[in-house]
This record gives sequence, structure tokens and C-alpha cells, in this order.
Amino acid sequence: MVLYVTIKTADGKEVFKTEKVHMPVPQLLGRTEKMGRGPYEKSGIIRDTAFPPRKTTVDEFEVPLYKEEKKDGKTVRTALAEEFIVEVELWYLPHGEKDDPGNNFMFGDKFTKKIAFSKGRGW
Amino acid sequence: MALFVKKSRKGGSMKVAKVLVVLLTIALPLMAFAAIPETGKKAKTIDELAAKYDSSSCKTCHSEIYEQWDKSLHARPIFGPLESARTLGTIKNAITNGMMEWPYSGVKKKEDVQIRHLVTCTKCHLPQLVEAEDSVAQEIVKYMWAYIESGRTDKKAEEKLTKININCLICHNRNAMIHKWADGVVQNDTVYGSKDGSHASPDFPKLKRAPEMKEPTLCGQCHGLGPQFELDEPTQCATLYGYYLWNYKADGGAETCVECHMKKSGLGHNLQSYRSEVMRKMAIDLHVNASAYLWRDGTILTPLALVRAEIVNKAGHAFPDG
Repeated sequence: MVLYVTIKTADGKEVFKTEKVHMPVPQLLGRTEKMGRGPYEKSGIIRDTAFPPRKTTVDEFEVPLYKEEKKDGKTVRTALAEEFIVEVELWYLPHGEKDDPGNNFMFGDKFTKKIAFSKGRGW
Repeated sequence: MALFVKKSRKGGSMKVAKVLVVLLTIALPLMAFAAIPETGKKAKTIDELAAKYDSSSCKTCHSEIYEQWDKSLHARPIFGPLESARTLGTIKNAITNGMMEWPYSGVKKKEDVQIRHLVTCTKCHLPQLVEAEDSVAQEIVKYMWAYIESGRTDKKAEEKLTKININCLICHNRNAMIHKWADGVVQNDTVYGSKDGSHASPDFPKLKRAPEMKEPTLCGQCHGLGPQFELDEPTQCATLYGYYLWNYKADGGAETCVECHMKKSGLGHNLQSYRSEVMRKMAIDLHVNASAYLWRDGTILTPLALVRAEIVNKAGHAFPDG
């Protein structure tokens, strides 16, 4: 399972993109630190980030959306834009490829939300 | 045997008959145990193996169930989805990337593949393959290569590779009795289900209750616990039953494979997982929120976005498994 998070500016420029993989990480032939992939070469677990049953898994992303510069000797961080579009999708890709018709399955709906930094000083 | 000859000479034909009756009384039940589930001689061809486990007659009375099953991957367990044949590709990879690479597998070329090699996959993907000779393993490999090398267009190979499957007779006969010492072994003339009685079929006139027909143990035989250490080269394909036991039941989960995959889904014998939208919706909820905020550190304001995704797994096992 892969959780994709993308943040774009209102005009479509991508400013952030990440993906988080959730799956059992099998151990190659049950030895060493190496991961196996094909069923014929897996006999153990290195770690497991699959979604456990009866549980809620939380993935949180804190994303910097600024450019930093010095003004009069001071650090100033200015937002890259006033508005952004956040998109989140959850896919199951049993063979690891999103562009693989018949082997790519989206779970739930695509999340899309506009977020913004307000103008002014806030009081 | 020497004792038998000696007595028969001394006692005449009546004594011989008595001894034969005694021997047969002892031998017949043993023969029955020995013959099942490996019924008779081993299949020499894919067609013979398919005929040995031909469930097409079930369609006559159970057409709806049969059509449901025909849509499931159980109908194509060594082939995989018709549009991609991914299972076939994975089994081929096990031969080329695994067996042909390992020094002690006995497989240097595809012509070396025997039943004992394919069993690493077919223990679950085609359990009845152990009732076939190595010629069937070779036939499977031949059509496997032909199908993939044809760019997945070879219809004859597709037809051959999809006619051997996990059908009615595997779950309702061959693999139906799990605790054989407690419940007995499978009988060749019996269909196993949820009740005892008669069954209107000339080949399977008896109906018998299998205690675990609706239990997760039935599915767990293949959708299993992890590495299959009983094999010369252990494989680890499915781990669902392990997750079910240790993550779901152990945590208070109360439902069974049948309840979710067959009843609540409404899919019946069209047993599906992630390829079904119904099952996807039943399994996972995704809740997301996002907001913008400014972190203040002294005089520096830092524009940030917070994206929080909550993934709720409602299934009776981890997702994904493997």
C-alpha cells in the first residue's frame, strides 16, 4: 500500500511530493538484513508496516512551504504562495508499479483540499 | 506369507477362505485410507488431471454458485487474472530467478522442472498437482513459457493452464477434512458441506458435514501462516491466517473469512480481495485532513502545512499481507 501526498500551488506547480509504503518487509531466505521480493525467496520478516487489523494507523506530514532569505540581517521565511492544493491518495500496488493497469487499486476517494495562509498580521 | 502357505496346505480350502476374509477385513480399511485423497494412478497429462478433478457437473444444479466461482481467482490459480496472467509470471520467475539460480535445486533449464519443484507454488496454487506425474509439470512449464513468450496471446496455452484449478472438488472434497484423526479422511464419493445427507449426483451420492467448512482453518490451509518449512525450499506467499490468528482474533476480532468474503460482501463463491471494489470498501477507511499554519520561533514565522491521514483497517487480517 502506498500513501501519496502532493501539494501544489493554485496554478498547478508541484511544491511537495512524497509517498509512504506500508507492507510487510520480508527477509531474503530467512537470513541477513536483505529484503526478498518474490514469494520463492521470502522466509522471514525484517519489519512490518502493513496496516494491522482492528487498528487505525496515522501518517502525519509536516511540510515546509516557504523560501528563506536574509533581510536586514534577519532570517525571513516567506510562503511560496498564498494558496495550495493538497492531494492524498491510497493505492495498493501488488507489483510495485502505479502505472500498471490491472494491478493498481485505489482505496477510498482521492482527498483534495485547498489550504491558505491569511494575509495581514493576524490581529 | 510362509505361515499362510503352510496353513492352507494343512487345512484345505475353507481355512484359506477364512484367512482371506480376516486379511481383507484388516486390509480394506487400510487400503481406503491409503487411497485417499490420492485416488488411483497419477495423472500423466494436464487433461487427465483436469478430468480427475472435473467439477463441471456441479454446474447442472449449482449454476449460480459455479458462475460466482468462475469469476474468482480460484478458477485460475496458476494463471492469475485473465488480463495479466500475473500469477503465471510469478511462478515462471520462481523457476528462472529462483530454481535455475540455486545450486542444489536440480533445475538448470526449464526441462528439468518436476512436480517437486512446482510444489513450492502449487502446494496452494494447485494442491492436486501431487497426484500427477512429472510429465504434467513439464506440460505446465511448456505452456507457461509458450504463453508468456507469445506476448500473452497463445490461446491453447491459456486454455490448458486455466483448466486446472481450485474448484468445487478441492474445497468440498479433497481439502475438506483437516483434522483427519478426529473427523476421518475424505471419501471419494462424498461432497462435504454443512450437513449430512444424500446428494443427487452419480459420482458423489453422499453429502457429509465437514466440521471446518465455514471455519478460517479451511482457508488457512493455503492463505497461511508464513514460510512453509515442510518444503525442501520454503516459500512465503500468504500470511493472512497468521495475521488473522495473532493480530485479529487475539485482539478480540470475532468474524470469519466466510462471513466477510462470502456473506457480507454478497459475493458468495466469487471469493475476492483487493481486486473487488466491494472488498476494498469493506477493508479500509481513509480519513484525511490538511491545514496551513505558521510556526513562530522568536521573530521567525515558518509557513507549514500539516497533512494527517488516518487509515482504518476493518479487515480480519493485516493489509497487505505476504
